[in-house]
Amino acid sequence: MFKFVSGFYCSIVNMERGHSSGVKTPPTRGVVQKSKNKTYQQSYRSCLRASSRFALTPALTARRLNTSRRAPRLHNITEKVRPEHLDILMKTEWKLAYVTPLYQFRHTQLQSYSRQLSEFIAAEKQQGLAVEVEGLQSSFRVSFSVVPGMTEADDDAETVLIQIHSKPMFARQDKPQKPVWSGWLTCINGNPDYLQSLPQDFICLPLFGSSGSEVLTRLVQSWFQQTFDCCFGCLEISETCLHWLAALWTNCHSESSIQRLKLIWTIPVKPVLQVTYTVNPQDAWDLWSDIRKEPGEENEGEDGRSVDIEEVTRFIQGLKNHFYKHFKLDLSAGPLQQVSTALGSAKYSGRIKISSSRYMITTLTLLTEGALLKMPI
Amino acid sequence: MGDATKRLLQRLIRRTRIQMLKTTLEKWDRLTLAQRQSMVFIQSKSAITEKLLSICEVLMLLVLLWFHCLLDVMDNPNQGMWYAFRLMDPEDDAHSVELMQFKEQFKSLLHELVRHVSVKIKKHADEAIWIRIAWGDGFSQPNHLKPTYVVHYLQTPFVFVTSITSKQKPLLSQALTVSTRHQDLKNANLSGRKLTAIRDLLMQQYPQVFPTNFPGHTAENNQMESNPRRVKEQAGLEADRLRMAHKAFGDGMLPELESAVYELETKFNGHANGTMTDREQPFRCVVKFTSTNLLESLRQCASSGIVSTVTPLFSSIPRSGKNYFVITNKSHGSSSKTSNITEPQILDSKD
Repeated sequence: MFKFVSGFYCSIVNMERGHSSGVKTPPTRGVVQKSKNKTYQQSYRSCLRASSRFALTPALTARRLNTSRRAPRLHNITEKVRPEHLDILMKTEWKLAYVTPLYQFRHTQLQSYSRQLSEFIAAEKQQGLAVEVEGLQSSFRVSFSVVPGMTEADDDAETVLIQIHSKPMFARQDKPQKPVWSGWLTCINGNPDYLQSLPQDFICLPLFGSSGSEVLTRLVQSWFQQTFDCCFGCLEISETCLHWLAALWTNCHSESSIQRLKLIWTIPVKPVLQVTYTVNPQDAWDLWSDIRKEPGEENEGEDGRSVDIEEVTRFIQGLKNHFYKHFKLDLSAGPLQQVSTALGSAKYSGRIKISSSRYMITTLTLLTEGALLKMPI
Repeated sequence: MGDATKRLLQRLIRRTRIQMLKTTLEKWDRLTLAQRQSMVFIQSKSAITEKLLSICEVLMLLVLLWFHCLLDVMDNPNQGMWYAFRLMDPEDDAHSVELMQFKEQFKSLLHELVRHVSVKIKKHADEAIWIRIAWGDGFSQPNHLKPTYVVHYLQTPFVFVTSITSKQKPLLSQALTVSTRHQDLKNANLSGRKLTAIRDLLMQQYPQVFPTNFPGHTAENNQMESNPRRVKEQAGLEADRLRMAHKAFGDGMLPELESAVYELETKFNGHANGTMTDREQPFRCVVKFTSTNLLESLRQCASSGIVSTVTPLFSSIPRSGKNYFVITNKSHGSSSKTSNITEPQILDSKD
């Protein structure tokens, strides 16, 4: 079955390669952008369609997110990634976006990108496009860097970290510049079929996180758009994705305490009613392991067994049912807004904070998947 | 008259709105008419401070300002977090306590208990007694920047407190119980940002238009009477929901309560199979409902059908005047619940 599917990709890949080599790279990028995005997206969606057609998974869920994933193993990320990089990634809440594949992005030219982006920002500032907060800040120093070790599969491109330093115009000369904005582009466990189907000149780093002023985020995004012929878009963390995070984090409780499992819903009445449901960590874990133990599943060694979407749904439904028993209020009436534990917090609005480095890879894998799916057709 | 007192005065003035400061000064009879008029045109707070310092004693100014702070909170009571308390076990002469007697006794009691404390008491138009307490201790002067406010209605058991620490609470409790002739001060498990709302809820002062008797038809016999067409059935269901909502929360305006907290320690009842439902230990979780007007939101939930029936957990908010509940199973095996109230911890809130 698998062979057949990969054969299917090959034909797409060939088609695409032929397509791009035929067109070459025309001088006007705007035109290419549209047609290219379209073809890649089609290929990504068709990958999914193919898998859903041949594998025995319902088409709808397959097009959303994977229906089963490996239980998060303890990742010794601290051995692979430098602590100063982990510090930067962990201390902040990131606003997420998706990015379409970058055309002719080279990990070897980061220094030149740093220079180009700072010049770009300076030029934009002079045009008076962004006057609000940064009105007083004179010079921006941009630094691009690779985060070594922040990859999981062989096809994943190396994570790129961007930091912008600045100091207020009237600050004393000897004062050091302060970091005013940071962001990163990553791809963790990206769909290998999709990644391999991309033409050579493209690097796929679909998940973009930023923290800092909106104005700078917009400037960085428009520089990327102009330079690498890509486009950005808002990435919400869908309800299913929030369910996954709730379950995956709870699954880690035996190794690293989650302290609490907190879920926030908003119920659409006037005035809006917010429901905060905080579950005792041990009891959440007990419920989760009870669901994991249920018959019909063969236990093949505790660590190796993958987590299934059905288990996740049953877990959330169990919590909702317990709630309903007391309040006769169905939590499905409103959207789930936020999930948080000591290991991290995620909001529907597309903000994420990862507080434990040990489960960073698991979380980023899920989000990478979400970003790939969110790319426009 | 040290520099410290002067600095305190400056800080107090900085925290006060300039218009408020001017109106207070205009009414202050310790200044001559000329002095008062000279204040009118001053534009900055620092200039006012300088001018005041040149014409009167610092101590006198402080008295004015403390008093003014009290007035300020009385006019804008919806700041900070208010906690409701209830005086328990009145003595025989509890109903005959009057203002002057209470004032004297409360002040002297508190001064006995705490070496450095500053107490101001004022009666509000609606019979409420407002008390401002600036706490110090054996070594430090009263801290006027973090005062505690207490609102009490004489001859009633109701007390409302804001910004109090767990250390100060027993002191206040002792002074209050003795001076009002009661035995104990108990937490009423009600808190909110709006003093008026929690007062109305606890003292049941809001217009409660609970319909006492209902026309005895439900959805079923409505169907029986008329042709059970879909439209009619729907209308009947909607009417039922409205009736249910009004039965629980009344018809009129509701006090603007912001939150309700339930600590659930009950048997898990989430899914059919699995061992979780059989286990003896309760499933522990905390559920918090928040809204700009919680009771209105809940009424809407009931009338729109989001809540299928109004459970006692919701209806007991207006009925018992509480918004903090601990829910446990009475005994394992039975499904009936008791709301077993324990005392929530009172935190020192910021002003």
